[in-house]
Amino acid sequence: MNLFRSEEHARRWPAFQPRAEEGFITLAALAGFFGTETRRHMLDPDYLSTWYPRRAAERRAYLEQIDKRSPF
Amino acid sequence: MADPLLMDRMFQRIMRGLVETGRAPHYAELARALGLPVEEGRRLLHDVMQAYPIGWLHPDTDYIASFPPLNNLPTQYRVTVRGAQRWFAQCGFEATSVTWLFPGETVRIDAPCLDCGDPVTVEMRDGRIVWIDPPGVIGHLNYGFGPSRGRPPFL
Repeated sequence: MNLFRSEEHARRWPAFQPRAEEGFITLAALAGFFGTETRRHMLDPDYLSTWYPRRAAERRAYLEQIDKRSPF
Repeated sequence: MADPLLMDRMFQRIMRGLVETGRAPHYAELARALGLPVEEGRRLLHDVMQAYPIGWLHPDTDYIASFPPLNNLPTQYRVTVRGAQRWFAQCGFEATSVTWLFPGETVRIDAPCLDCGDPVTVEMRDGRIVWIDPPGVIGHLNYGFGPSRGRPPFL
């Protein structure tokens, strides 16, 4: 899960997997994906028991919202 | 599994320790802080990591290697807050959620592009992107979470 200067740079990376074409995500979408509600509570005293268990469903919903459904 | 309240307390000690110092505490320090015998602290750490599987201990040790969004083991994703580069993000994706650990602060992420080595810089504040250089910076997931997932060299 890396940041590149552009898509072209990512494609030139020797470790780039051709099947990972679906793996591109804009920085704005990435900030949204990693800024869903639960991630905003990491400093709360009950994060592990209350917030973390909600994370996966929330992230799946966000990916659907931005039309990224395939986990390839 | 251990008492959920105790696990929450240890989780917070680790996360806040990372935020305050850039390093994850050792289980002996965590045990002392929580008023536990050292061995109980070690076992509790394993329970916490099992409940937070997006992080991990260094293989065959009790040392915290990764506790996302931050990493105890240096990565290429350097995080700077208030002019101090004290932190590392677990990966380029988790780097964008470090902002939530520093409310009201500008969080700067610097990394070399894995293709050319030239810099990639992103600044965020309270979840908002406030600076990107170059403007075309993009995230890329090289392995999915489905059948194609193997070992995670991309981290």
